[in-house]
Amino acid sequence: MNDAIWLIIAFVLMLLAMGWFALSLKTHWKQVMSGKPASRLLRSLGWICVALSGLACLQADHASMAVLVWIMLSATAAFIVGQVLSYRPGLLKPLALFRA
Amino acid sequence: MQFNSTRQGMAWLHTWLGLILGFVLMVCFFFGALSVFDREIDRWAIPETRFDPQPMPSFDNLLMGVFERIEPDEAEYKRMMPEYHDASAGEMTPRLELPADEYWAYTTHRDPVLRMGAGFRVPFPANPEGHNHIHGNTTIDPRTGLSVPDHHLKIGSEWFYPLHYSLNLNWNRIGFFIVGIAGFFMLVALISGVWIHRKIFRELFTFRRHKSKQRSILDMHNMTGVVALPFHFFFAFTGLIIFVAFYYMPVTNTMLEPLHSAQQAIEAEEMGLPHERAGIPAPMASVDAMVAEAKRRWAARDMAGEVGFLQMHHVGDQNAYVSIYRAGSDRVALVGEGIHFNGVTGDVLREDPPHSLAESIGDFLAGLHLQHFEHWFLRWLYVIGGLLGCACIATGFMFFVEKRKQQHAKAGSQGSRIVDAFAVTTVTGMVIAAIAMLIANRIIPSATEGKGDIEKLVFWSVWALSFLHAIWRSAAVALAKTNPAWREQTVLIAILGAVAVIANWISTGDHLIKTIFTDPYWAVAGVDLSLLAGSLIALLAVKKMTATHKTERKQETSQEKLATGEAAYE
Repeated sequence: MNDAIWLIIAFVLMLLAMGWFALSLKTHWKQVMSGKPASRLLRSLGWICVALSGLACLQADHASMAVLVWIMLSATAAFIVGQVLSYRPGLLKPLALFRA
Repeated sequence: MQFNSTRQGMAWLHTWLGLILGFVLMVCFFFGALSVFDREIDRWAIPETRFDPQPMPSFDNLLMGVFERIEPDEAEYKRMMPEYHDASAGEMTPRLELPADEYWAYTTHRDPVLRMGAGFRVPFPANPEGHNHIHGNTTIDPRTGLSVPDHHLKIGSEWFYPLHYSLNLNWNRIGFFIVGIAGFFMLVALISGVWIHRKIFRELFTFRRHKSKQRSILDMHNMTGVVALPFHFFFAFTGLIIFVAFYYMPVTNTMLEPLHSAQQAIEAEEMGLPHERAGIPAPMASVDAMVAEAKRRWAARDMAGEVGFLQMHHVGDQNAYVSIYRAGSDRVALVGEGIHFNGVTGDVLREDPPHSLAESIGDFLAGLHLQHFEHWFLRWLYVIGGLLGCACIATGFMFFVEKRKQQHAKAGSQGSRIVDAFAVTTVTGMVIAAIAMLIANRIIPSATEGKGDIEKLVFWSVWALSFLHAIWRSAAVALAKTNPAWREQTVLIAILGAVAVIANWISTGDHLIKTIFTDPYWAVAGVDLSLLAGSLIALLAVKKMTATHKTERKQETSQEKLATGEAAYE
């Protein structure tokens, strides 16, 4: 498959991961949903996506380059999710899957 | 200083280190972020070079002729010649008669133009063991071999790029030392920052922009600092590694010079590469054949590639040899996989062995920072990282002022007022100076003598003016209000960004519809789009600042009314 597609997949996975990390925190869960989050489950989902995103990076590039892309994607995705929570928290609703 | 806890001590350290060095780090981060696209900015600034990147042209048919035309630099000749030359041994050779000893050519996958240079030997040297080279450089269009005129400053790679590691203060390399110290203390600031910030993960995604100004600024400071922490850490760290060797411990060129030269001679002998000229003239073999052989050997090692750097040593001598290095565009690590040829016979003298693990880690760390790789997506991610760093430092300044200005206003102190004026200068003023330089570049006719120097002058004077403006408008801060210079300079950024794009269009005919759709040229389109994006962000910021300003004014007038009402009641 095309490298660009793998990179897009890596980016989307990282966004999902950061979204779930954020929702595993009570304050942010409350911004989108009532009740309490199933923190452990959401966080595990997040870690799985982080790992999958790393694999997607490896599909696109040489390992040394993939590591850099992976780290920089995590920074960018975390910042985006933070801004989304501040301006349009509703966008994260589809990710609020598991309530405690 | 008495601290009740380590955390308090760390907070003190973070505050004051950050304040003093933040101004330098801001320059490093902002111009570092621009340097990711330095070659593209060069294209924007020198329209004559807006064509596609070229591979290394034929040495025998094209480069050799250019090398022979290169002259030793006049200023360097005046400065260095008396030092290198031993007057008691013989006449000083006139500048244009110096014999060439070394040729080099350098290009990357992003360079349409080719940089070349020659090192000239000094007959009757005072120190025969020394390097004794007078240099001359040129940049050519590799399709024709014609020189790109020298008065055209490469604003990206010769101004913004060195600015981010030397502040372009070259007197005694003072700029390098300041940046190095700032880089080191940035590591300290990062560690102390993490220490005092107790809720790293719990507040990672927190930006409470509706809370107080102080709260929201601190949230943004924490977020931009923490999300890109690995980036901030690695760039400060690798930057230090790259420069420590060159600039902080240059003992190999001072105290240990004799040992260093001896080492070089031994190394050269071990590698089979002659360290000295033989003194016997000899004709040169075909370099193109050597390039073909080097490419064949790289391909055999499963790393086919183009030539990035080519160097001919001891030109015209029996001991001549040619070193050919591979362009490292497909990996992070900076390795040349150099192959060295006998310049007279054309035989391979040596193939550089693969690097050891320790060397490979060094190559990776240096490569990570210097980015010779071909990966547009990662380049943009680096820009984002750099801009997050800028946002982190800028909000750091703002928080410093916000936290203190009420107290300072009550005590009649000018502290936060002065810090705020410096912050305006380094945040908005720096952006204005950079864009003003680009606009000057498009307005000054390309034939103007000393064009590059005028552009540099514009850069420094606009930056100085932004400081004067910030100081002039700063009285408000001493009354615990916001300096109107923030808003005014942001308005200026919004206007100048658009003006620069229009100036590019009018002076070259390259507008965005052409550079994106009809005749795509992404280097120029990218710079234009970034300028417009900057304008847009500035515009949004102005809108936000105006709204805040209005609510502040409302609160003030209602408070005043309350105060006068109370006075009347009394």
